[in-house]
Amino acid sequence: MTTRIAGLEPANLTVHLGLGLVLLLWMVPEAYMVSIAMRAPETVFDPTLFTWPLTFDNFVTVIKDNPLPSFFLNSLIVTVATVILVLAVSSLFAFAVAVLRLPGTTVLYAVLLTTLMVPMASLVLPLAILLKTFGWVNRYVGLIFPYVALGAPFAVVILKAFMEDAPKELFEAARVDGCTPWQTFIHVTLPLVRPALVFVAIWQFIVTWNEFFLALIVMTENEMKTVTIVPMQYSGLYMANPGALFAILTIIALPLIGLYVLVQRAFVRGLLAGAVKG
Amino acid sequence: MATLTLDGITKSYGVVSVISKLDLAVEDGEFCVLVGPSGCGKSTLLRIIAGLEPITSGRILIDDAEVSRAEPADRGIAMVFQSYALYPHMNVDRNMGFGLEIARTAKAEIASRVGQAARKLRLDSFLQRKPRELSGGQRQRVAIGRAITRRPKLFLLDEPLSNLDAALRVGMRVEIARLKAELGATMIYVTHDQVEAMTLADRIVVMNGGRIEQIGTPLDLYESPANLFVAGFIGSPSMNLLPGLLERRPDGGAQVVLEGGPSFPIVVKEAHSTPVPVTVGIRPEHIRLATGGDINLRGEAAVVEMLGSDTFVYARCGEQMVVVRDKTAGRMHRGDPITLSWDEAKCHLFDEGGRRWILDREAEAPTQNATA
Amino acid sequence: MSQTLTASPAGRTLAEIRPHRGRRQGTVYLFLLPATAFFIGFVAYPILWVFDESLMRAGSDGVRHFVGLGNYLATLQDPIFWLVLRNMALWGLITIPVQMLIGGLIAWFIERHTQQWRGFFRTMFFLPVVTSVSVVSLVWAQIYAPYYGIAQNYLQVLGITMTDSALGNPATSIYALIVVNIWQWTGFSMLMYVAGIANLPSEVLDAARIDGARGMRLAGSVVVPMLAPVTKSLLLLGIIGTLQTFPIVQLMTGGGPSHSSEVFGTDIFRQSFVLGDTNTGATLSVIVLALAFGLTLAQIVFLGARLGGRRAAR
Repeated sequence: MTTRIAGLEPANLTVHLGLGLVLLLWMVPEAYMVSIAMRAPETVFDPTLFTWPLTFDNFVTVIKDNPLPSFFLNSLIVTVATVILVLAVSSLFAFAVAVLRLPGTTVLYAVLLTTLMVPMASLVLPLAILLKTFGWVNRYVGLIFPYVALGAPFAVVILKAFMEDAPKELFEAARVDGCTPWQTFIHVTLPLVRPALVFVAIWQFIVTWNEFFLALIVMTENEMKTVTIVPMQYSGLYMANPGALFAILTIIALPLIGLYVLVQRAFVRGLLAGAVKG
Repeated sequence: MATLTLDGITKSYGVVSVISKLDLAVEDGEFCVLVGPSGCGKSTLLRIIAGLEPITSGRILIDDAEVSRAEPADRGIAMVFQSYALYPHMNVDRNMGFGLEIARTAKAEIASRVGQAARKLRLDSFLQRKPRELSGGQRQRVAIGRAITRRPKLFLLDEPLSNLDAALRVGMRVEIARLKAELGATMIYVTHDQVEAMTLADRIVVMNGGRIEQIGTPLDLYESPANLFVAGFIGSPSMNLLPGLLERRPDGGAQVVLEGGPSFPIVVKEAHSTPVPVTVGIRPEHIRLATGGDINLRGEAAVVEMLGSDTFVYARCGEQMVVVRDKTAGRMHRGDPITLSWDEAKCHLFDEGGRRWILDREAEAPTQNATA
Repeated sequence: MSQTLTASPAGRTLAEIRPHRGRRQGTVYLFLLPATAFFIGFVAYPILWVFDESLMRAGSDGVRHFVGLGNYLATLQDPIFWLVLRNMALWGLITIPVQMLIGGLIAWFIERHTQQWRGFFRTMFFLPVVTSVSVVSLVWAQIYAPYYGIAQNYLQVLGITMTDSALGNPATSIYALIVVNIWQWTGFSMLMYVAGIANLPSEVLDAARIDGARGMRLAGSVVVPMLAPVTKSLLLLGIIGTLQTFPIVQLMTGGGPSHSSEVFGTDIFRQSFVLGDTNTGATLSVIVLALAFGLTLAQIVFLGARLGGRRAAR
């Protein structure tokens, strides 16, 4: 037996140390963010990664002085509504294409897929005009609907692939059992593609929560702003007080990071099950 | 061409032992088949020989040189995988020559060896194709061709036919038998299909639970299985195994009393005064649907399977279900009363622990079924 | 498998069973309706609108006139447009391969050489992806900051002296932003390669071991070619991602100094919402759209990449 450290063979230990080192380097910006948030005014401008002592004063100040919870609520409403709508709309569409195989769906599917090539940058202007016409500026639907339209195609791709990989005998069995298409959808298809639904939900959540461009244009009133766009206004407000600004950044960044850590296992499982390949 | 010696091979994952203290010697030019139920360790053993799985203890020798810790590429072996494991992005030509390419063999030499193998396997016209453009049977031949071009000392084949449909499988089996004769190489072949094992093997190694149950020629295993496991595993349909008691007769001889059935005399060296539980084994093809043998049983036909060339009758005799293979049973119907009979000379006897009981009539014949 | 599914005779589809009690078969088309409606309302219509708008110009009287390709000609003569194009090219040519290389290497070591720590590494390297982009931008702005930023301080230790802020220098601003993008998105490439590597058929890797392929040879001749489908999707996603670059630039430099880091996103934003010239904004939008379509189609045609297809090379 070769000598083992922490249960690892020497060659493997080298790999772990190497990965660990790269990871430390990679985590510098995240650590720096938290570090500045926990500095006292005397040390806040020190050009070092860590300072001493640490303080939570900045957090206390910014939570007391700002309506942070309302920003979170805005983000949560927009994101959750988007995720639910994307799942509903895309699973219905994928079912029609992959299982029902209605005539004409292949063409419609191809057309829908072109959305994946459309950069947000080219859509913000017309969307802004459109939403203004509908009176949806500074309304939740003004973000939710465009997000659904832009998110659904990717979800359709994933769900369609999963549905096509499922044994088609299952759908035939449902048909023999007398299920209507709707019953086949609810009772057979959805449970079958659960890992894909979970994957799509997590990814859509991350993307929606972090979307910046459209949110910046649609949510102009302070009460309607989502957490992604608030740091901008605080960067001006707290120009001379980076400690407070970074406390806000930390408060904004941590929930999604925490959420990802909680669900990453399911997310990676969906990915490995073939959610995204070639 | 080479010999292979496994000396006390043990493999465990943590506390779970997969293979324990296994010894095996394969002779030069021998076609050795490892069979056993799934999970018996046969594939693991093959991967150990290949060097894909490290061993926990023991030694592996190829041509008397120890290779226990050598890299797979340095062992002089070639392997054919169950999924064929062809490189999807390389054409047939490059797939077959890749190993030589890595070993820095001269280009001309690679081309000639690949060409030879391709001719042998009738792949000449597919050399430029990618694996996904080939049929299952063709991929299988490429996988074998890749092994041949390496000119290995030892061929390892891991259930190579299990992904083919029934018709192709028979064809490829014949092809492998032909290659075996042509190449004369030492081959280790893993399968769970006993027809493959019986038809291809010079010697069969029956494995179960990480141990070797018996090693022998196909006929050895068929005619004198060393224990109940081998008796039940080799032969299709399986050997009938009937519980009974071995006891001393008043005249000093011995007899077997079948549970709920007749008794018959049997010659054993020593019969205990107290009855001993035993299992009597009789192959379906040794039972006749008529009276007149040493042992006669009455029952009724429960299931009749007519295969054309053969008829299998599943007869219910009291508590027991006995399978009979008899060509004359063509007109039999379910529920017909029948009489079965067979000769004592065809019986196998197993003791309580499942080991073969060497009968006096067998004692003179050289036993070939010693476990290694 | 999937081919046979698609190729199954039309007569055997589920839709064929007519719903009972006289309901029309057409009702099953309702499954398609919601997604299609969203697509028409928020993708198709806006695209048609920008096309139309890009061919118009609002006169001083507020009335729109058809100007043909006039807006396009004007845009092509704008030096800022060519700066944007250069920046976008730099952005794509640097971020995509670098993210692939670093992400791929990290993924390889994680998947092939770690056991208990695998989940930890996979998660940690992905964290920048889930960190809000506005947070990322402000943190990096602080890192780059002159005098009190840590970049200057620590690079000096390595013997690299930054004379001024990397963001404030027109010669370096775009590269400084590219570094931020690489930092944020490498984890995404890593996770995609993790999925690809985990799904490599293990028997093929065994066969490669028996063939004696190791190290660079294994990577170059076996692994990298077999991961080509992942690489192609990353390229596809990378190009579209490049074209929609906006928050990092908007928040860190605003496209400056003197347009040196201008990208399509910031240019469209500036023209449409700051200067209020929707015709030029629409023209730029159409150009971005055309680039995205053209580059994607080129990849589909020349590389066999597939938009979201998951069975590319099997």
